Amino acid sequence: MSTKGTHIPDWLAVPFAGITPAPSQERGQDLFPTGNWRAIRPVYRDKMPPCNNACGTNEKIQGYLDLVKRGKYLDAYALIKEDMPFPSVTGRVCYHPCEQACNRGQYDEAISIRAVERFLGDLGQALPRDVVTAGRPNGKKVAVVGSGPAGHSAAYQLARLGYTVTVLEKSPKAGGLNRGGIPDWVLPQDVLDREIERLVELGITIKTNTEVGKDVSWDELKKNYDACVLAVGLTEPNSVRADGEDKHGVVYGLPFLRDIGMGTSKVKLGPRVAVIGGGNTAIDCAREALRQGAEEVTMITVEGNTSEMPCVPEDLHDMVAEGVELMHGRAMTAALGNGKVEALQLCRARFSGAINASPIAVDRESPAERFAVDNVIIAVGQHASLPWLPDEFKNERGTIRIDRFGRLGDTNFFAAGDVVQVGSGQPLMVVNAVGDGKRVAFNVDKVLRGVPLQERMVPIDVITDLARMNMTYFPKFPRVRQAMLEPASRRRTQDEVIQAYSEEQATEEANRCFSCGTCNACDNCYLVCPEPCIVRSVRSNGLYKILVDYCKGCRVCIEECPTGCLEGVPELDFDTGVVRMDTAFAITPGLHGRQAEELRRLPDKAPKDIENWR
Amino acid sequence: MPAIEIQRQMLPMFPSPNQGARFYNPELPETEPFVPGHRTCAGCGPSIQYRMTSKASGDNTILVGPTGCMYVANSSYLCTPYNVPWAHTQIGSSGSFTAGVAAAYEAMIRKGKWKGAFPNIICEAGDGSASDIGLASISGALYRNHDCLIICYDNEQYANTGIQASSRTPYGGMTTFSPPGPTIPEAKKLFPKDLARMMAAGHPHCYVATASVGYPIDLMNKVRKGLNHKGASYLMVYTPCQKGFVYETPRSIDLGRLVVECGLYPIWEWNPEKREFDYSFRPQNMRPVSEYLKLQGRFGHLHAEHIATLQKFANEQWRMMKVELPAALIRAADAKNLVDMASAEAAAAIAETV
Ligand SMILES: Cc1cc2nc3c(=O)[nH]c(=O)nc-3n(C[C@H](O)[C@H](O)[C@H](O)COP(=O)(O)OP(=O)(O)OC[C@H]3O[C@@H](n4cnc5c(N)ncnc54)[C@H](O)[C@@H]3O)c2cc1C
Ligand SMILES: Cc1ncc(C[n+]2csc(CCOP(=O)(O)OP(=O)(O)O)c2C)c(N)n1
Ligand code: SF4
Ligand code: SF4
Ligand code: SF4
Ligand code: SF4
Ligand SMILES: [Mg+2]
Repeated sequence: MSTKGTHIPDWLAVPFAGITPAPSQERGQDLFPTGNWRAIRPVYRDKMPPCNNACGTNEKIQGYLDLVKRGKYLDAYALIKEDMPFPSVTGRVCYHPCEQACNRGQYDEAISIRAVERFLGDLGQALPRDVVTAGRPNGKKVAVVGSGPAGHSAAYQLARLGYTVTVLEKSPKAGGLNRGGIPDWVLPQDVLDREIERLVELGITIKTNTEVGKDVSWDELKKNYDACVLAVGLTEPNSVRADGEDKHGVVYGLPFLRDIGMGTSKVKLGPRVAVIGGGNTAIDCAREALRQGAEEVTMITVEGNTSEMPCVPEDLHDMVAEGVELMHGRAMTAALGNGKVEALQLCRARFSGAINASPIAVDRESPAERFAVDNVIIAVGQHASLPWLPDEFKNERGTIRIDRFGRLGDTNFFAAGDVVQVGSGQPLMVVNAVGDGKRVAFNVDKVLRGVPLQERMVPIDVITDLARMNMTYFPKFPRVRQAMLEPASRRRTQDEVIQAYSEEQATEEANRCFSCGTCNACDNCYLVCPEPCIVRSVRSNGLYKILVDYCKGCRVCIEECPTGCLEGVPELDFDTGVVRMDTAFAITPGLHGRQAEELRRLPDKAPKDIENWR
Repeated sequence: MPAIEIQRQMLPMFPSPNQGARFYNPELPETEPFVPGHRTCAGCGPSIQYRMTSKASGDNTILVGPTGCMYVANSSYLCTPYNVPWAHTQIGSSGSFTAGVAAAYEAMIRKGKWKGAFPNIICEAGDGSASDIGLASISGALYRNHDCLIICYDNEQYANTGIQASSRTPYGGMTTFSPPGPTIPEAKKLFPKDLARMMAAGHPHCYVATASVGYPIDLMNKVRKGLNHKGASYLMVYTPCQKGFVYETPRSIDLGRLVVECGLYPIWEWNPEKREFDYSFRPQNMRPVSEYLKLQGRFGHLHAEHIATLQKFANEQWRMMKVELPAALIRAADAKNLVDMASAEAAAAIAETV
């Protein structure tokens, strides 16, 4: 409180009400402790935004969107690189669980997080030198088997921690399914090449054409390295167990795409192609079949309709736009033909259980149908091939047995990616493999340093209820759409279908982010407090402070915080030197006790004045 | 004698906090002419207004405060929350006092006794002071066009003396002077005095505007416009009072938005050069009045017919602002479509503004 312009006679320079110190001419009144009116205290507490939580590698999405809003693209790129080695790749291929979780989806349309990620990834690709550097060498050697997303991520994090990393890859080119699964028209190979170069720039050695079990043995891995990460993925396609699957013209989705990706494909498709399967791989196969020259492509699914298909709806939509036909509720029971497939035998079928992986119930009553084809591509999942793995580490699902830290028994071997996630209920996708690789890398480091291992992060207070934020501050605003090639022009080429954001588009889209649960320094709390008792040294997250000596607990700031990072907690005790009114005249130690003493001495101080005054 | 150049502060406008889809307040002045420790109620709307106004106005400011909460509740034991020169005046004489301050500075500058920019002279009168007791003196100051800004912080009642009806108290508003009962179930029968419009009509050479604490940047910009205007300016600002309106304290800003979104507090500016009203301000939504009323205990007694009467009033305000009325609001002006307050689960018709 101020005393500006007021003359304070000596006899009035006394403490008031037993609590407040005396005002002085120069400083005014330091403390009228209105904080003791308060029953609820506002506190700043950032929450976990649902996008960060849903991301398989917990990218700090809210954080980099906020940096993009401010035009700090390089900082945004550096932030994303903490958890994600190749945003240019995930910015194109990710199935974006973050966008499914995005709170803005409940309001108008989810943030196009992947598109902004791609914008940052491409920015990083254009840098002459990456922002990330290798850690100081610690003299320890780690082998990473497999150069897919999980292996890439583990190698990247280990190199940052100072390990000497060697990646062993059985294929002629590195990249795993990023190269030999995801088609070029989704992820151009030069983008992936550049990201693999970045790994090499970190000092990582990549040995291609090097297969564990053939070129390198288990014992050699054990002997030559301090630790080893197995990220070998699922390399073998599943069969549909139909008669005549060995006929000419029957191909499997995984090798079909892999050979195209590696540049070693010899498959020539006929005009009529059927694709068996209803997932993302089947969609990629069907769309690739068009690009390989097929005239009529039909996708045959056991699922009864499109909404049951375990795939990304946008991709399904784009496939249909390119002219692929759909046939639902059928299972392929035989490949018919003389040496070469000429038709398929299809039966009415459905899944016996709720999830798509449950056994298929074929309806033997209804008559089988004949469906004429020149080729059939079977894309119904894949499994691991681990003949080199010692039996003690195999589990009942035919994959690697690990503990909850990703470790094989008490060895220095760890496993990550599809090979351990298959059948776990976790969807198989690049970002989950990246996250798995990251977490395992940190645990490798812990084992080698002899410190306790860490489980997957438990999310704390994910803010998904819009009522905890203030939507008034967010006008409805449509999502910024990425441009796409037209179906007619794209269906025969390997050109990238989805186009990049411009800088303006990226910021416009980032501007839509609510910044859920995380202060983005909008200054609203600071502006609306009636006291005002909210101060900030610098306008930045974490630097806002409430002067609790004065805050009356009106909670206007909480109500008006757009992001929901302010919350109220019941006041249990005053620990800031402020005491409750009802104890104002009790003689207790501390501030007000001291003042009570001063009050008692009052008459000695100004006896005359006070007498006259009365 | 050479002409004396009066140096004016000419404060710049704040950019809008809405940048595309993003909400981000503009950089605000560091200065804090209104400091904590005062004893207004928690969540006090007039205090929010006072703080925003003084922050917008800056350190070279002189404040004048006639009797009311912003004097009585605020200043205690020689101290005030005002860290710039401030004077309390008798409740009826704020206009004359403010005019005197402005005239004194003009004279001092003329005589070379005051160097530097002309101070921002702001009178902060409550609605009781501005619309009833001090109306004459304020009108005088405006008419004589003294270089000052007179603000009516409108909490729609005499708050400081324990909530009595003023001529700004809305139809249906309960106060200690307008209690609801069997004879007058709606509590207050009269509609509020159209104070700001009266000031614009009567003193057309002045800059006159209405504002609300629900739109802080708009409010702060209007304060600066009023101060930049050479001559007298007048602002009427909606400032909810939790004690008199009987609402949950966190709602102070929210009510400031709702009252505008319901059409009960039209936001406009009077342009003294063109001599015309500017009705271009549009809230984000339009809502039925019941959404605003139901948050406040002072309207808890209203029956459907009273709510319909208030809706009719609001609809007239929208028409006056040349806003096309959505069907939901026309329906809401018919008591048949409404329920009494006690059981009111008000209809949630929200229509986008044009
Ligand atoms: C066709 C297809 C399309 C897909 N599209 C997408 C998509 O668009 N978005 C998405 O998020 N996910 C997609 N996925 C899923 C995603 O690709 C996988 O979840 C992810 O690649 C798993 O990564 P990983 O590192 O565990 O395995 P992989 O990527 O399979 O990598 C394993 C690597 O280990 C190597 N390897 C295996 N055995 C050995 C050995 N013994 N010695 C040395 N090397 C070995 C393999 O050659 C391979 O390079 C797709 C999957 C498929 C099949
Ligand atoms: C001439 C005169 N009449 C009555 C009063 C008593 N009085 C003191 S404050 C006040 C209320 C003023 O109301 P308003 O101007 O609306 O300010 P608020 O208290 O609502 O902030 C009244 C009536 C007075 N001080 N002087
Ligand atoms: S609005 Fe922003 S912070 Fe919130 S979930 Fe979506 S991307 Fe994340
Ligand atoms: S607005 Fe100010 S007084 Fe009210 S709770 Fe927040 S910090 Fe406290
Ligand atoms: S109102 Fe704005 S500045 Fe204050 S805590 Fe919330 S996000 Fe941060
Ligand atoms: S009575 Fe109303 S105007 Fe007065 S201090 Fe309390 S809230 Fe503010
Ligand atoms: Mg009043």
